[in-house]
Amino acid sequence: MDALSSRRILPYLLVLPSILMLIGLIIYPISFSLINSFRQWNLQTSPVPLGFVGLLNYRMVFETTPFLDALRNTLILSIAGTFIEFWFGMGIALLLASQLKGTNAVRALLIMPTTIAPIVAGFLFRYMYYERGGLITWLLTQIGFPVPPQGLLGSSTTALASIALADIWQWTPFFAIVLYAGLLSIPEDIKEAAIVDGATGLRMFAWITLPSISRTAIIVVMIRFMQLFNMFDLVLVLTRGGPGTASRTLSYNLYQEGLVNYNIGVAAAMTWIIVIIVTILINIYARVAFRGWEW
Amino acid sequence: MRMPIYRKVLIYLAIILVLIFFLGPIYWFWALSLRSPTSAFASPPEFFFEPTLNAFIYTFVNPGVNAPQLVSSLIVATGATLLNLPFSVTAAYALSRFRMRAKQFLMMWYISLLMAPPVVFLIPYFILMSSLKLRGTYLSMIIIAQTITIPFSIWLLKSFFDEVPVDIEEAAQVDGASWYQALTRITFPLALPGIIVTSMFAFVFTWNNVIFPLVLSNQSTATLPVGTLNYFATTGATWNFIAATAVVTMLPPMIIFLVLGRYIVRGLTFGAVKG
Repeated sequence: MDALSSRRILPYLLVLPSILMLIGLIIYPISFSLINSFRQWNLQTSPVPLGFVGLLNYRMVFETTPFLDALRNTLILSIAGTFIEFWFGMGIALLLASQLKGTNAVRALLIMPTTIAPIVAGFLFRYMYYERGGLITWLLTQIGFPVPPQGLLGSSTTALASIALADIWQWTPFFAIVLYAGLLSIPEDIKEAAIVDGATGLRMFAWITLPSISRTAIIVVMIRFMQLFNMFDLVLVLTRGGPGTASRTLSYNLYQEGLVNYNIGVAAAMTWIIVIIVTILINIYARVAFRGWEW
Repeated sequence: MRMPIYRKVLIYLAIILVLIFFLGPIYWFWALSLRSPTSAFASPPEFFFEPTLNAFIYTFVNPGVNAPQLVSSLIVATGATLLNLPFSVTAAYALSRFRMRAKQFLMMWYISLLMAPPVVFLIPYFILMSSLKLRGTYLSMIIIAQTITIPFSIWLLKSFFDEVPVDIEEAAQVDGASWYQALTRITFPLALPGIIVTSMFAFVFTWNNVIFPLVLSNQSTATLPVGTLNYFATTGATWNFIAATAVVTMLPPMIIFLVLGRYIVRGLTFGAVKG
């Protein structure tokens, strides 16, 4: 093999194992979901798929499962969660950026919630949300917040917000740490030039700081939005989507239909609807976040 | 720049409040693992109590149902990390070092897998592993974890390979080394810290994952978070055991992140933000 063609072929030979492995891993779920989305199949009544039913399963997704409620909850959670975590994290990053003594230790401690398994974070909050003796419930009662009698997780007005709070607790440090790194990377001379030009406070932040870290900000917002969009673990431990469908997310709705109700056909159809939504979202985001990226 | 003292004090106060908010819940759960069942749900909450190791002894020593689950977690997370390396190291190296027309497409493909909702894979894998008679094996969990570990590691490793200067490698090749020799003698040793960092993240992600083991494990291969969930499924009276097992689940990722230090930013952003 001459040098030129080896340099052409070699990189593809090197990426090939990963591609084959990943295709091998996703080809089955993809084709499984596609085929079964057109078949009637409930594992409780039949171990094998029954006949083809056309688009019936797709209709059932909307008619027999609270899909639109789940979509709405998921969007609320993703948008509000990302927004709050970003600005809360930005505030902490600005505090850290004053570079007082001990900042490194604070940063190391601060990231701890993010290291925890989401399921464990769920347990932390489930315990603190308990109606009787739960720390958060107790603290809220002390400051006169009207905690619903069914508890924070048992009331449809507070269930989704309670899930959001657990996520905000776990992931705000992620934003804080990453944005802090972004703040540190702003060249000193840019900041000094702006100060010479008379920029202070909010102006400095809006015109210099924020634009300088916009790339970092867009990337973390993208990552976190998608993770929130896929939210499952916290829902499983905190509310199981309830009460009613008040805190049901898309992922939990799919889990419920497929692995609790064993409605494989409907779940397969739902998988496809979710995959299409997610693909569109990722494509929009990736295009924005990685525009002009040096590959 | 000198800062007025009152500002310093305000900033420290704010930082202390922030730390209380983010570390308080962790402390509260650690405390729960050391409480007696009566103290666990005392109302109002007991801030001072007599600590006991009973929950840890029950869960990990006698009868110690959760001790084998700790081993399972270690097997699955270590296995997934090791299996992922040959795939991701080669791909990341190629994507970092060579001109490829499909580079951008491939990178986007990997990251879109990383951002796909894991639940969509769950039902098909449940059925697939059942029909292959692999459900309940470590192998099934280790393989399925690759849908996350491989794309993640490729992204993160590429950022490390990008930092090893090509010049050194090319100089070695001019001196008569083959690309393979340059790779194994120069690039890999220089990229080794990156490979270790990537492995640590892959380990943590697999360790913290619960939904794949939830449907793919059985009683003898259940991982520790599944064990925690089992206490939850039964009754509310076993919160001390939930806490004890969860505390043990928390510790390895915490220690690993302390070790990772300045690489945390890069890892959590898949290498996209250098930090």
